[in-house]
Parts: sequence; structure tokens; C-alpha cells
Amino acid sequence: MSSATQAANSALGAAPAAGSAVFAQDLSKAYRMYDKPIHRLYDLILPGKKRYREFWAVRNVYLDIARGTTVGIIGENGAGKSSLLKLLTGITQPTTGSMRVQGRIASLLELGAGFHPEFSGRDNIRLNCSVLGMSDAEITERFPKIVEFSELGDFIDRPVKSYSSGMYVRLGFSVAASVDPDILIIDEALSVGDEHFRGKCINRINEFRESGKTIIFVSHDMGAVKSMCQWVVLMDKGEVLEQGTAEKVADAYLKRAKARGNERMSALNRGTSAYPRWGSGEIEVTDVDMLDGAGNPAHAFSTGEPFTVRLRWKAHQDTRQPVFGLGLYRSDGTYVNGSNHHWREQPIALRDVRAGEQGEVEMSADALQLLQGQYYLTTFVYDHAKAAPTAIDHREHVHTFEVLDPRHFQHGMLFLNSRWSVRRRGGAQESSEESRA
Amino acid sequence: MELIHSLSRNRRLLGDFVVRDLRARYVGSSMGFFWSVVYPFLNLVIYMFVFGLMLGVRFGDQVPKEQVALWMLAGITVWAAFGETVSRSTNCLVENQNLIQKVVFPSEILPAFLCVSSLINMLIGTLIVLLGVGAFMYFPNMLGMAETSERPLSLGLSLLSLPLLWAAQALFTLGLGYLFSALNLFMRDVYHLVGVFVTIWMFATPIFYPPELFLDPLHKDRMEFAWILSVNPMHWLISCYREVLIFGAWPDWFALGKFVLVGALLFYLSSRFFMAQKPSFPDLL
Repeated sequence: MSSATQAANSALGAAPAAGSAVFAQDLSKAYRMYDKPIHRLYDLILPGKKRYREFWAVRNVYLDIARGTTVGIIGENGAGKSSLLKLLTGITQPTTGSMRVQGRIASLLELGAGFHPEFSGRDNIRLNCSVLGMSDAEITERFPKIVEFSELGDFIDRPVKSYSSGMYVRLGFSVAASVDPDILIIDEALSVGDEHFRGKCINRINEFRESGKTIIFVSHDMGAVKSMCQWVVLMDKGEVLEQGTAEKVADAYLKRAKARGNERMSALNRGTSAYPRWGSGEIEVTDVDMLDGAGNPAHAFSTGEPFTVRLRWKAHQDTRQPVFGLGLYRSDGTYVNGSNHHWREQPIALRDVRAGEQGEVEMSADALQLLQGQYYLTTFVYDHAKAAPTAIDHREHVHTFEVLDPRHFQHGMLFLNSRWSVRRRGGAQESSEESRA
Repeated sequence: MELIHSLSRNRRLLGDFVVRDLRARYVGSSMGFFWSVVYPFLNLVIYMFVFGLMLGVRFGDQVPKEQVALWMLAGITVWAAFGETVSRSTNCLVENQNLIQKVVFPSEILPAFLCVSSLINMLIGTLIVLLGVGAFMYFPNMLGMAETSERPLSLGLSLLSLPLLWAAQALFTLGLGYLFSALNLFMRDVYHLVGVFVTIWMFATPIFYPPELFLDPLHKDRMEFAWILSVNPMHWLISCYREVLIFGAWPDWFALGKFVLVGALLFYLSSRFFMAQKPSFPDLL
């Protein structure tokens, strides 16, 4: 079947540069959207009139992928990554443009596509192999390896319907990984399975890479793409926005992601009144803004960037000793940081606020030490004149924001300004400092 | 032709699919093989009851009961294979959309494997009919009814023409299968329409009643529908099967010729249509 793809592709006849594994020019794919399904049939019988709207999933894509490179395709959901992959594998036909693929392609668009639930793992391996275009001899030769790789044990003889989803994926990947393609296409297939198996998958992919095969890898995780790929293609709305080395594209991606993040977060923030708010109400926090280094309101930040949170308040009644505070939480509810202007080495005391008074409170940091993820803010106004501070205006989840980490060196939630040193006995010491300020 | 080339290129995959389907038939349920035997009999009993006893359809006074039963059974097995393939083919692309959308897959093997699988399954029914004919040939008194028939049961050299009949049946069945499976992607209602269509067609084919029913001069109202027989290819095919399986005679070559002609034309046109639409299948699913 891959040979069929090859034949079909070479028939399109573009002129590839020497040594390129995939060459595409002006590649576009339009899907026809019909208002009513019956119109599709009319179109078939009575051509001429246009009864559909076109949706361009892929538009004017130029790709020249050299043999032996690992290429990452990134973009947000709906950017056309998967549609592009389908074109490259030959599953769908381009509407316009031409492409040429040299070598046998195997795609991991979906693991275990076409497994039959009633049959045992063994039977499904056979069938899946022949669906993927392996010959009898190849199947016989690779069969034991596939069974071993899948680590299914006795389950290999049980019907696939009794498998857990992890086992299903394992079996699917084992089959797909045994295909020996010149070009391997992976569509985020690796985000499933347990740590151990994921490690095996990555090893297998590294083997492919080391043996000089071409790999095309789709993801929306910039970090994964950066660590694996030499060449990155950034897609948006079906078009290639930018392609080049990982460093170059990462910047463009970050810029876009920030703009998009700002848009998305501000939409999210418009509808946050659903979260709890309580307190005696003498002072009201009217506005909460997050500002970037330049003082502009923002909803998306990079790790290491300066940022400021600004609260505007208004007093409705006299209050003796109000204290403003802020809580930072990760989207899963983990409490990351909490502080206020009173509990400090140099406390700011705010006393005897009169009814009708207004003002602002700001908390700022030179470098945001959060790593990639979504976070939210909670604001507190508490009365510290009482023995135990009581709530005046406590607002949960007032502001959601996103943090993007362009460098993706450290993992987890917090960036540490850390120092590493490596010594070899009898050798020189090498050390590395890293900070983000 | 492109389609035939592709089928022969992918014959191993086709074989795997046929094996898978046959095994699903016999493995999935605890009595898989048993059902393949029982179904035709069950149908036979039901239809003999409904048509023979309730509606009083006459097969002529000279025809013994066991001959009527075998005659019906021959028709039922052929129709079962045909009807099953046509209705399953109609939905086969939708059912296997996983394959069509996620791997480069020769979708033309789907109707073909269904057809081959049901023909192989039909062999069981055919064997039962032949065993029945053999039994009544050598032990005519088995049921204690020593009736003489104007056309006795017989088996003969004409059995050699069975492969020809199978091939003809496959051609015609595939013709419809390719047409409906492709159309079904344009409009999913086709699947339901085909279900109704196959049922109507079954009753319009002399399977449970003799074709002479339409030719009875006492019933003018029925004679008006005699044209159904002359435009129904499945009637031609089934009567050929009956000649061979029950009466040991050679098929009516004229009827078979007509059937092959219609089948070949249908197959040619619909496989062209199927292959022309095939590149857009992943988009239509």
C-alpha cells in the first residue's frame, strides 16, 4: 500500500531537491461543507452549480524535508497539522498543489486502527500487519519481536475487547513500530501509555532517527518538539507561518501563543463571577489587573518576565486596619504562593480608612518564576484589627493567566535560579549558572 | 481494470479479511457454525408454514413435500448470501472508517471480502441441499410418502457448473455492493433504503412460491405481475441453481447468459463509479 502511495505521489511530478524525502509545493486541501447532506448527492448527479462552502484545512504549504531529519509540526488545535499529515501519508488527496514522497511511509496516526475486538492480540497483529502493507515473510519474521515489544504476556491470546486502553495502545504501537519505513509519521500517538512504555516508544523513535530515517512529528507541545526536532514547521489556520530551526520557530510560536493566550484568557476572565466571594464588605476590591513589564494589561506571561498585579479598591465604611493580600494558584488548585503587604520585614501599615476613600495596591516581581501552565489569582482583604483576621472582601479565582516557557529547560511548576557543577575525579570542574532575571 | 488489479494485488489482505469474517461468524457466538446450519432450516420452516399452510400456496399436486422443502431451501441459501452481502456492503465503508481515515487502505476490498465470505458460508447451505437430494434419491420412502413426481430429484454432472454460478452471483452481488457502498457515503439513508429494497426484492423473487403462481390463468390479477419475473435477475439465477442442485439438470443457459450480462454491466459501471469516488472517501466519512 505504501508502494501505491509512492506511485500516486510520483505521478504528481513536482521537482524535488536532491536528497529530500518529502517535497510539497502549494499543497492545499479543501473540504466541502454542505448545508444538507442531500446536496452532496445533487452535486454528484448534476454538476455545475456550487452547493457547498469550502473549508481550507491546508493552504499553500511548501515543504522540503531532507532525508534523515526529524521534523516537528506544531500549531494550535485546528491549525491543520493532522490534515497535512493525512496528505503526506496519501490517505487524502490534495485539492491543489503537488507533492512527492520518496520511500515507504508508515504513519502512527491512530494506533490499533482496525483492531477487531473479538479476536486475540495475536490475530490482530497479523491483520494489522497486513493492513500496514507487510508481506507474509515480513510478518513471520517480525511477529515474535512484536509480541515481545508489546509486553502483553498471556493477554496476547485473549480477545482485544478485554484489553485496557493502555494495553490496546501498546499493541498498536508495537505493530506500527515494527514496520520498517523510510519515513515515520507520528501524530501525538505517544501521549498515551504508562511511563515505562512511553520510554520504550521514545527509544524506538531514537533508533529510527539514528538509523537515518526521516521522522515527521506532530505536537502542540513546543517542549517535546524542541527536544526532538532539528526543523520545526509552525502552522496556523492551515498555513505555514514559519519554518526553520527549532530556536527560530520557537520564538514565533511563543509570540503567537502569547497573543492567543491573551485572547483566550481575557475571554475566560470575563466570565469568572461564578467563583465564591465573601466578607463583611467594608472595603471592596473593584478591579484586578495583571500588567506586563511595560505596564500593559496582559493575560499571558513568559517565565522570567517582570509582572505586576494591581488591585483597585473602594471603602464603603470606616475600617481600622485593612490588609490586602494575594494568592497564586495553579489551575489544578495547588496553592503556589500567598503574600500581603503587612506580613513583611518592612510591613506597610494601612490605618483608619474612611468611608468613600479609594486607592490602589500593587504587588510586583522582577521575574516570574512560574513555569509553563495555567494559573489563577485570588485576592484577600482582611481586617487585622481583630484578634484573628476576618474577611472583608475575599474573592476566589478573580483572574486567570497563562505562563509560557520559551526555553523549556526546567520542568515542573517553579523555575529555580540554580547552579550545577560537575566534577570528574582528577579532571577539571565545570559549572553552570542559570538565572532568569 | 483498476479495481481488479487492486484486488489481485491485495489478495492476501483480502484473504485475511475473509478469514477474519468467517471466524467472526463461527467464533464470536458459542454456536457459530451451528447457526449457519440452523438459520436456513428455521427460515424454511417459517416460510413453509406461512406460504404453504397459511396462504395455501400450491406447488401442484404432483410435487411431493420433501421436494418443495429442498426447492425452497435452495432458494433461501442463495438469497441469504446475496441479501446479506448487499446490505452489509452498503455499510462497509462506514463501519471501517477507522481504516479508511487512518491508514492508506484499499477500500475496494471491503465489499469483495464480504461477498467471498458469504459465498463460502453459502456452501454450508448448498451442501445441506445436496445431502437432502441424495437422501431422498436413494431412500424415497424415508418419510413414508412414496409419491411420484413428474420431475424426480436428481444429481448429476451438471454440478460442475456450480463454480460458474458462483462467479456469476459474485459479479452481480459485487456490482450492487460497490454501487451502494459508495452511494451510502453521499447519503447515509441509502443503508436504510437498501434494507427495505432487499426485503421487497426477496418477496418479488419466487423463493417461497413457485414462479408458475404468476402464470395461473385462473388468477388474472396475479398474471398482471408476471413481468416481475422477466425483469428479476435473481429469479434467473435462483432457477439456474435449482436446476443444478435439485434436478441434476444443466442450468438454463439463456437465463444464465442474461444474468451474466446484466451482472457484468452492473459490475463494470459501479466499480468505475466506486473507483472514481474513492479518493474522496476519507473526506466523506
